[in-house]
Amino acid sequence: MSSPLISLTDVGFTYRTLSGLFSIEKYQALKSINLDINPGETLGIIGSNGSGKSTLLKVLARIYKPDEGKIEYRAKKISLLSLALGFDARLSGFDNAILSSMLLGATLKEAKERVSGILDFSELGEFTSHPVRTYSSGMRARLGFSVALNMKADVLLIDEALAVGDAKFKAKSEKAIVERVTSSQTVILVSHSGAQINRLCDRAVWIEKGEIVFSGETEVVTKMYAEASTKKH
Amino acid sequence: MTENSETQVFQNVFRFWQLVFIKVRFNLRSEATQSYLSYAWWILEPLMQMGVYYIVFDIFLRRGGEDFVPFLLCGIVPWLWFARSVNNSSRSIVQGRGLISQTYLPKPFFPLVVIGQDLVKQHVVFLLLIGFLFYYGYVPSAEWLWLIPIVITQLLLIVAVAFLVSFIVPFARDLQYLINAGLMMMMFGSGIFYSYESVLLPEHREIFLMNPMANLIVSYRMVLMDGTEPLTNSLAVIASVSILFTFLMSKAMKRHNNTLTRLALE
Repeated sequence: MSSPLISLTDVGFTYRTLSGLFSIEKYQALKSINLDINPGETLGIIGSNGSGKSTLLKVLARIYKPDEGKIEYRAKKISLLSLALGFDARLSGFDNAILSSMLLGATLKEAKERVSGILDFSELGEFTSHPVRTYSSGMRARLGFSVALNMKADVLLIDEALAVGDAKFKAKSEKAIVERVTSSQTVILVSHSGAQINRLCDRAVWIEKGEIVFSGETEVVTKMYAEASTKKH
Repeated sequence: MTENSETQVFQNVFRFWQLVFIKVRFNLRSEATQSYLSYAWWILEPLMQMGVYYIVFDIFLRRGGEDFVPFLLCGIVPWLWFARSVNNSSRSIVQGRGLISQTYLPKPFFPLVVIGQDLVKQHVVFLLLIGFLFYYGYVPSAEWLWLIPIVITQLLLIVAVAFLVSFIVPFARDLQYLINAGLMMMMFGSGIFYSYESVLLPEHREIFLMNPMANLIVSYRMVLMDGTEPLTNSLAVIASVSILFTFLMSKAMKRHNNTLTRLALE
């Protein structure tokens, strides 16, 4: 078996908020996480709101450095796909597509090469030259999704709310994600929907209160998660 | 990390600067869409400011002699560039929290974008200044080419100070107020409204010239008004100290990157 692209050993992360002079509030969002990301796999991370899923993604994306434990990277380019990253509402869809692609890791040349594909996929038509502030929220989301989908990276990190727009675009975007995910691309997908994880992932990890509750086969994990969340209600 | 980490580093540096340039261009474009006259304000705003000094000091007050307005403009134009860039970049990392929370960007990105935006607009202001001086009968000479190294030195100084303030403000945002007060104090110590040679005691002049902005303004006036060589030794000192300081500050930003991220997101 090839070695993991990212391995986490006993990773912990604590948020500290300054609530006044000399007083700090602490909140531990991740506790001793052990996790290996293998090349080519699609890993699903599931958990309720505030369980630490998004913090884990940000740690993986190197936005946050963990306070405890260590992370080893063998992947060169890891991209956290945020929809509408760095969008400036006063600029056109075209400009925003370029800017957002570059913020997600593309060079100017790559961004220019991809822009027509991005704009075609987003189905914005003549609106691509209009400022983004004139867009409906659906149009904005479509543009954001198209930019994110066209990114190339060794590891793609995707946070929830994947399918966007109206029913037709939703189906199209879902299909595009499946294509992306079933290729040799390494993907980490965060969601609180068991159904979505089931459809897309090879393996799943269930996180609650910053700790891994269970990890293993997708169906088993999502079933346990579903049972636990119905019990709670 | 890998065997080709050198090309990796080069690619990252290239991508970083490309992103700075694109962000500057797009921010300027975005700013221009906010007003009806868009890019025309790059000329109109400084023109109105200079016009005010002309009306107040040349038509109404008629003080300080014939040369007072050119003298004032040669001081205030570089000063406003410095003050604006330092002030705007002091909040740049805190204001960049939207990007900081979603993607990894080296922290110098944020002050550099602010400095870049101001630098582009400053070109127009310097051209207007030259136009004003021409109107006042100052004939351009070869000495005016000294303006290029002076402007570059000032830019290096701005980068150094901007890196410092953008680094410290996230630690205590209250410092923002101190920076404003400090800039105000520095303005009065930079000899914008007075000639240090006629106002200051001889024993105080050396201390006055240790203020880099005061020193640069003296050089601007020597070149533009007297047509002489500037204080070249001072320029070299200011430029090299600024480069060294910028280097140290970018090291500090890299070392404390994680702390700055957390502070910006608080």
